[in-house]
Amino acid sequence: MTNGPTDEQKRGIRRTAILLALVALAIYVAFIASGVMKAQH
Amino acid sequence: MSATHTHALGAGHEHHDDHGPARGIGRWLTTTNHKDIGTMYLVFSLIMFLVGGAMALVIRAELFMPGMQLVDPGFFNTMTTVHALIMVFGAVMPATVGLANWMIPMQIGAPDMALPRMNNFSFWLLVAAFTLLISSLFMPGGGPAAGWTLYPPLVLQTGDALPLAIFAIHLAGASSIMGSINIIVTIMNLRAPGMTLLKMPLFPWTWLITAYLLIAVMPVFAGAVTMLLTDHFFGTTFFAASGGGDPVLYQHVFWFFGHPEVYIMILPAFGIVSEIIPTFSRKPLFGYDAMVYATASIAFLSFIVWAHHMFTVGMPLAGEMFFMLSTMLIAVPTGVKVFNWTATMWKGSLSFEPPMLFALAFLFLFTIGGFSGLMMAIAPVDFQYHDTYFIVAHFHYVLVPGAVFAIMAGVYYWLPKWTGHMYDMALAKAHFWASAIFVNVLFFPQHFLGLAGMPRRIPDYSTQFADWNMISSIGAFGFGLSQLLFVFLVWKCVRGGARASTAVWDGALNHGLEWTVPSPAPYHTFEEAPVVK
Repeated sequence: MTNGPTDEQKRGIRRTAILLALVALAIYVAFIASGVMKAQH
Repeated sequence: MSATHTHALGAGHEHHDDHGPARGIGRWLTTTNHKDIGTMYLVFSLIMFLVGGAMALVIRAELFMPGMQLVDPGFFNTMTTVHALIMVFGAVMPATVGLANWMIPMQIGAPDMALPRMNNFSFWLLVAAFTLLISSLFMPGGGPAAGWTLYPPLVLQTGDALPLAIFAIHLAGASSIMGSINIIVTIMNLRAPGMTLLKMPLFPWTWLITAYLLIAVMPVFAGAVTMLLTDHFFGTTFFAASGGGDPVLYQHVFWFFGHPEVYIMILPAFGIVSEIIPTFSRKPLFGYDAMVYATASIAFLSFIVWAHHMFTVGMPLAGEMFFMLSTMLIAVPTGVKVFNWTATMWKGSLSFEPPMLFALAFLFLFTIGGFSGLMMAIAPVDFQYHDTYFIVAHFHYVLVPGAVFAIMAGVYYWLPKWTGHMYDMALAKAHFWASAIFVNVLFFPQHFLGLAGMPRRIPDYSTQFADWNMISSIGAFGFGLSQLLFVFLVWKCVRGGARASTAVWDGALNHGLEWTVPSPAPYHTFEEAPVVK
């Protein structure tokens, strides 16, 4: 692996990392939003 | 040490360079090397293990005899709360992350973690988190004292420590999520040519599944404590019945995180034990595919059992039935694992070096914790045991001779590969026997106390519970002192000792890529990606 990750691997790393971070953020926001909606009823 | 090497994406430099570790404190502050960061996680977790252990000894010293002995009840509650938070988020989880940092790149043939700078950041975020949490002990009104579950409305009575504790949880959660993203992208993108997912060793497999679990549930906990924060400071009433909120909602949200959290701590332990038992049985792991599917099944089931923690809160009969049966279902994939570990040893050429001793103790003692868990899955039975010392005994069997013993097994297994030195076998065996005996003296009597009705999180108790409490406290001090042997042994091994060979253990060859690199493992492991056939 002297040449480090290939371009394809770099794209895969970037894509997967961003996707997972967005999933985590979405879950955080969704749970707070569900709390807000429950509180409004 | 002078491997020609280029860092992976994000390391900050793309040129080919020959270099070893930097010198001085700067190495540790700015390192992006997975081995350095793994070492820092492991040292941090050891420090937290000793701090959390000292808090456990305060608890057991107070409970040595009936009556109020040493500390006031508020401080006792702070100790039970912070002991748990430190052990869960500061000791067990970082220890498995440390092992993941050290071993996953080596086991899958990767040059480093895929996101090395984020790796460094997530470690230092954890240090900041626990500095905040521990400093909350010194705030006016005392530290957090509502239990690690932080149930409202009790937790909202916490003084100035509350925002510190919540911010600490946010930071630790962010650190965990970043660590998990790093592990997933490393495994999914940087495996050596030929290493398909179903050729990957069990430790990276269990961590891959754990990382997905973490990403799914950590934000849930972060959301719950954010709502606690707004209830306390911004006048919302998510969990306050007085404003139309629902305190039970918090419990549901907390345990939707909390139950998978148990598996976040134990799945990597399963992975470690699955590495060790084949090596010291000199056989391949029995039922590799079944082990992978069992791990995934346990992770899936962990999402649909959360309300078994809340049987006594009250729920419809159909709910009780669902959560009771789904919880019992977890025994099936767990049983598959215990069966496969046993079958791996069947007709094997067994030897009993320290890693194997800890792995075997894990197998027996974790199973005891599993059985008591099955007992409490039965709703009418749980009504009797809930909030007694029986549950304290149950989860400590799962987490101490379960997760902690597996971590120790892992350290004893890989330490010669890390340091290049064999450790003192006699001392390691003494550490094992002292730990194995005292952990049972400490926790087994707590089953009897719980069955007799002693409630948890209470600093004083009826005299009928005196004898077993005294024995349990003696076990606690014995177990705590035994761990000093471990600290001394590791220190001695880092400083020197007999040289470790490449394979280290007789049975290790052919059991993973880490045993094909020299001991100690070079600072940059693979000059060229190994090809796996």
